Amino acid sequence: MPALDTDRRPIRALSALLVNQIAAGEVIERPASVVKELVENAIDAGATRVRVELEQGGIELVRVSDDGSGIPAPELPLAIMPHATSKIGVSEDLDRIATMGFRGEALASIASVSRVSIRSRWRGDAAATELRVEGDRVFDPQPAAGPVGTVVTVRNLFFNTPARRKFVKTPQTERGRCLDWVRDLAMANPAIGFEVVGDGRTLLSVEPGQGPRARALALLGPELESELLEVSADELDGARGLTLWGLAGLPSVARATAKAQHVFLNGRTIRDRTVQHALREAYRGLIEPSRHPTAVLMLEMPPSAVDVNVHPAKLEVRFRDSSMVHQAVFRAVRDALRRADLTPTVGGRAFGGSNAPRPPMGSGLLEPMDPMRPGVREVSAAVFVDAFKGAYGQGQPPGISHQPSEASDGPHTDGRSLMADGSAPPPRDASETPEPSEPTIPTPRRSDPVLQVHNSYLVTQDEGGVVIIDQHALHERVMFEQLLARVSAAPLESQRLLTPTVIEASESQLAEIEKLGPLLSRIGVEAEPAGPRSLAVHAFPTFLFERKVDPVEFLTELLDRAERDDLPPDEEEAMRDVLDMMACKAAVKAGDKLGVEELGELLRLRDTVERSSNCPHGRPTTLRLTIAQLEKLFGRS
Amino acid sequence: MKVICERAALLDAVNLVSGVVNNRSPRPQLACVKFDASADGELTLTGTDAEITLRLSLARVDVAEPGQALIPADKLRQIVSAEDNEPTLTIESDGDTAHIKGEDAHFQLHGFPADEFPAIPSFKSIADADPKTIFTTSAGTLSGLITRTLFAAARENSRYAINGVLLVRDGKKLEMVATDGRRLAKCSATTDAKSDPARCIIPSKALSMLLKLADEPEEPVHVAITDTRAVFAFGDDATDARATLSTSLVEGTFPPYEDVIPKDQDIKVTFDRDVLASAVRRAALLTNEESRGVRLAFKGETKALELSSRAPEMGEARIAVDLAGYDGDDIEIGFNPTFLTDALKVITDPEVVIELKAPNKPGLVKSGGDFLYVVMPVNLP
Repeated sequence: MPALDTDRRPIRALSALLVNQIAAGEVIERPASVVKELVENAIDAGATRVRVELEQGGIELVRVSDDGSGIPAPELPLAIMPHATSKIGVSEDLDRIATMGFRGEALASIASVSRVSIRSRWRGDAAATELRVEGDRVFDPQPAAGPVGTVVTVRNLFFNTPARRKFVKTPQTERGRCLDWVRDLAMANPAIGFEVVGDGRTLLSVEPGQGPRARALALLGPELESELLEVSADELDGARGLTLWGLAGLPSVARATAKAQHVFLNGRTIRDRTVQHALREAYRGLIEPSRHPTAVLMLEMPPSAVDVNVHPAKLEVRFRDSSMVHQAVFRAVRDALRRADLTPTVGGRAFGGSNAPRPPMGSGLLEPMDPMRPGVREVSAAVFVDAFKGAYGQGQPPGISHQPSEASDGPHTDGRSLMADGSAPPPRDASETPEPSEPTIPTPRRSDPVLQVHNSYLVTQDEGGVVIIDQHALHERVMFEQLLARVSAAPLESQRLLTPTVIEASESQLAEIEKLGPLLSRIGVEAEPAGPRSLAVHAFPTFLFERKVDPVEFLTELLDRAERDDLPPDEEEAMRDVLDMMACKAAVKAGDKLGVEELGELLRLRDTVERSSNCPHGRPTTLRLTIAQLEKLFGRS
Repeated sequence: MKVICERAALLDAVNLVSGVVNNRSPRPQLACVKFDASADGELTLTGTDAEITLRLSLARVDVAEPGQALIPADKLRQIVSAEDNEPTLTIESDGDTAHIKGEDAHFQLHGFPADEFPAIPSFKSIADADPKTIFTTSAGTLSGLITRTLFAAARENSRYAINGVLLVRDGKKLEMVATDGRRLAKCSATTDAKSDPARCIIPSKALSMLLKLADEPEEPVHVAITDTRAVFAFGDDATDARATLSTSLVEGTFPPYEDVIPKDQDIKVTFDRDVLASAVRRAALLTNEESRGVRLAFKGETKALELSSRAPEMGEARIAVDLAGYDGDDIEIGFNPTFLTDALKVITDPEVVIELKAPNKPGLVKSGGDFLYVVMPVNLP
């Protein structure tokens, strides 16, 4: 095969430049990676202020200046050598990594794909030294003038690797990504001041010496203050466990993407499935499954309890005990949510606060109703729903907010305490308040009249104003919680059948039944295969019989879902799904006429279950139209 | 047609007949009551919902002019009911229009041509057409059978057959059986004469109508059953009956009820019906949707029965019943109290016997030798 022979190239050792360029491929993907690596170095150097300058989104220039300890002149050439670092020395150090960087790859990688100059002045030196590198050309260090600290300037990123440059997006996109990184790093390091200047404009500026709460709010947007609940946990136990602090957004500020989730581990941004899952679980039933809660979570763990050396950009980590992490995060966030009043108000901040624009009249959010207009009842019902959907569907500013939002600009006033003794509670300190506030959950009083509208919605009042309840969603929620509590304590009561009810089932469905056995017996279903294609049901929950749910219909749907792999593998999670199904089938439907007693009972039950403001699917069960909103709408204010 | 009726008798008849009529029938003719005045002075009223047909012969009526009329049932009932100062009402037909006249009132109601009403087979035509069986019982016997079974029939069950009540005829024996899959009621009676065996499932609505018709216990009821229909004629003469109800039968197979009646119950306890009913009713006070069951604990040593219930958010109840004659083993079993009270309500005998075997096996309630009730237990957590 001579043709092949002529094509063949001999095996050669790669040049140092190529090695670094390949490594850079893993670490340096885009300008934002440069920003991240350089800012992390600045933080590791003990800086109190970090300044980032970008030109063309960092494609032309990234300059990171810090007032950290600087690099002594003789060590400067080493800084750009691969695997040269001051952060670790021996292998055991990998178990106790406390610095942001440690692999010693970053500067070398950056230098291999751009034109870099490093000017640094060590604390003990009288003057700065500057070192320039372009691809594989290292120029001799030159003395230079400059303050203590380091300035790294990276120009023409990927000038020598055109293939990589093709993947760089527009300057705006790249600038956004750079900002995302600085924002995360700034959130994790509230003591350090950060400034980002892009093409001469200040894009971000936070002062040094802030607390974590003030820093997070400064970066997320101060208008979110009333929408965030403080989360904390301390489960540190020697070299195990963790401490956790964070802010968890109310369901109303959930987003369509997980971008509003900032998770830090020992000061480093991470993207971790365990934590994301725990968050999602904590919000289960409060937000729609397709949405992501807004959250800032800062986890501190002993460095030995976690392996950060898994991912080149250190985004992924490996916990020694991930179920402990899951549980701690889940519990802390869920507890914070439980303490809060999650009833959304119609129109939300748009009406109650001053920092969001007021929607123009006629926007459909809440229009004065004309009783003479034909079809006005349909219109009014639709308006509430649409207003809500619209608000849920859009990003910021949300049209829906929660009760605490009324207090966003001033003293925290709670409707109940005002009603009780006529005096407002003391104003909340405007500065850092480490104590999380615990709003009481207002509930309709028993004596308040309840109106059933269109056999679908209940309208009543509470201390805050007018309360509108979706009867099916609330009943479903209530029953779900009751069933969950009941099932956790003991199996559900079940009625035996005179003769087994026989259901047609495929072979794979019958196989699922075996797996579902323990779950079924907990909900009071006794069923077994009765032939190659049928299932015999011997007992069925009395609860479902009482609610006129047909065993055939219920079990057929359950089998279908099991066969489609639509049930989580974990028994407890699958149980929640099944209870959800039961609650949905058993709940009163929209269109069911309810008697006075049933209405009262439904509202009474609302008080007894947690989180009744959202149904298990995450849709809201209850909306509130506050007195303040009504006054504004009627022009009384 | 022109008839003069006593208003009270007319109202009773119209109320009964319009109980059958479906006022929202897609065929407006079926939402009418058919008046049929014969030359020999008889007036009959007929209503149907296409499944059940009721034909009543009206007493105390004066037929001035024979003929027929179709009058919308709903308005007819309202008018006859509202004319409460009139001792008599005159009903006249003029083409498709009916005139209802009192002393001071004249209503004109737009009806339909009488021949647009479906032809209703008479008892005689069915009896002559070789039915599966034909026999005579009494209104009292019939209502006893219905009262003590109908309550256990299913409502809107996907197994359509159990939404009705099974009627079993065998020799002199006449039985009715109803079940909703969780309990089963069976009641039997005998008739004076034998007839051919037959089984059919009668819709619940027809049985409810029969209960309303059977208000004279001694009145004979003639029953004919074909493959598709059952006909009940009230009165001495089946061909000239006071009331005739004809119903189509529920198709499908009734569950093999004989198999579910337990034969070898170990524990048998006799109760005073009222004492047991009161105990169950009181224990049921502390049950709710999710905790429906009442626990019955029979104790041989103390010769006592304790009924207890528990609704987690509400509280608990304990009712003690003295069982002087009890010498059986200890047993605890749960039941839906509604199922027990349903049966105790219809039992006429002052004594009932409860028979049990095991906590997960059916319980049996017996009374008077003719009533038997199987009730499946509840698995209490």
